[in-house]
Amino acid sequence: MEYKFEQVKIVGGIGADDEFWRGLERGEFCLPTCASCGTWMWPAHFRCGACGAWEMQWNAIEPRGTIFTWTRSWYAFDRVSERTADVPYVSAVVEIPHAGGARVMGIYEGTDEALRIGVDVVGHILPPSEKTKGYPSIVWRPASSGPVA
Amino acid sequence: MMSKLRGAAAVVGIGQTPYYKRGASPHPEIKLALQAIVGACEDAGIDPTDVDGFISYASERNDAQKLMSALGTKEVRFASLAWIHGGGIPGALSIAAMAVATGQANAVVVYRSMAESSTQRLRVMVAQGDTAAQYLVNGLESPAQILALRSQRMIEKHGVPRDTLKAMARATYYHARNNPRAYGRNTVLDDETYDNARLISEPYNLFDCSRENDGACAVLVVSAERARDLPRKPAYILSAPMGTLNGGGALEENIRPYSFAGQVGVATRMWAESGYGPKDVDVAQIYQNMTGMGVGSLIDHGFCTTENAGEFITFDNLIVPGGSLPVNTSGGDLAEGFIHGMGLVAEAVRQIRGDSVNQVPGAKLSLMTGGPGDTMSSTGLLGSEETL
Ligand SMILES: [Zn+2]
Repeated sequence: MEYKFEQVKIVGGIGADDEFWRGLERGEFCLPTCASCGTWMWPAHFRCGACGAWEMQWNAIEPRGTIFTWTRSWYAFDRVSERTADVPYVSAVVEIPHAGGARVMGIYEGTDEALRIGVDVVGHILPPSEKTKGYPSIVWRPASSGPVA
Repeated sequence: MMSKLRGAAAVVGIGQTPYYKRGASPHPEIKLALQAIVGACEDAGIDPTDVDGFISYASERNDAQKLMSALGTKEVRFASLAWIHGGGIPGALSIAAMAVATGQANAVVVYRSMAESSTQRLRVMVAQGDTAAQYLVNGLESPAQILALRSQRMIEKHGVPRDTLKAMARATYYHARNNPRAYGRNTVLDDETYDNARLISEPYNLFDCSRENDGACAVLVVSAERARDLPRKPAYILSAPMGTLNGGGALEENIRPYSFAGQVGVATRMWAESGYGPKDVDVAQIYQNMTGMGVGSLIDHGFCTTENAGEFITFDNLIVPGGSLPVNTSGGDLAEGFIHGMGLVAEAVRQIRGDSVNQVPGAKLSLMTGGPGDTMSSTGLLGSEETL
């Protein structure tokens, strides 16, 4: 599909994370820090609550972390019905230690054995698809499974 | 510090429509709201035309402006909405208490009405437009899935036994059997039925999840002074704080600490404001969008810890008679019916009056917790006159 996420933009949440998605579209995993005090700010917001600055800086970092928590969905809920064929699928929240412990969601792809809190995972960026509602996305795979072609 | 509002207001009337399968209400939502409000007035011995305050919580659409002509309202003096979803119910009681204690209004209804057929609430009002892309892109949209993330960590990382979820589900369904109004009264939830239920979003199975019903519930709040002149035994609002601690809020799973129900802050304030603690509570209505979140509520409120949750949260300990903390004595959100938790307030009041279908003998302190896992929450302690 040839579109940018802005054309299918989901309204909801805080909505300060456009640069995160633009980063994924470029093939980069970017998370923000406060441009003034350097505090990691995730989810992205419009003002740093730690120092009061209004500028964010987006940093391309390595997409790796550890599984913080996860759920396996056995039912295709209405607003994510594009994933019906994938049921059951696993969504994970991954903690990024080199980004102040920011927790970033994604689909988990790996064995059931490796699906445990604390397991090291590496993120792989996927292009936009219907399943991801026209957004680029990240899937997390166990670090032990090695590089995927 | 004791709050100025402690015991300043009381619930003196409750009104509840039948609960229907979602989308099956024979009446539109606004008519259900009227039925519940008029029911609460009749229960309280107050003329509906004298109701001058109207309060609900996020996504309620039947506001005072739409109701007043049908109620014959003499004057609306106060109307407000607690800015939280199911987490907001006790907070809505608190707003009502403030309104009557400060003389802004004299008789305030707190209510919730839901009929999916007339408003498409779940799909349109509650869900759409307020779920961050981070969730939806990654296959997460339902509260069941999002709260599953919280409960999975509670079980896997903090060691709370998975069986506590089953105990919460079984106790609620057990209590529903005595409640003719309960939507799930005919479901016998034994170990086998629970264990064999299909999975929804791990760790939750079908019986761990609430399903919205159509229906309405209203309670009437007046000042403590006025409550003493009315026919029903008042249920005094001892404390019903709302809020969230630093590190909480709408943070897309970046809440710190990643708390079980998000209620440590409000629970701590409630115990301080009321002068009571977990050991004093006779009976508890625990909001259960999902069972695991009810478990989290009990931990956040200090009834047990992650270490002894498995010993405290057992079927036997949660039921009437015999349990040290009977919960969800009407069947609660899972088995009586789910109208965003509002039915729990009515049951908390009935326990103080002494007329629950699963009465805890001599209950004086009755807890009602707001929706756990919400981006903000509230919790409330009701008491009989001797607890003031
Ligand atoms: Zn800063």
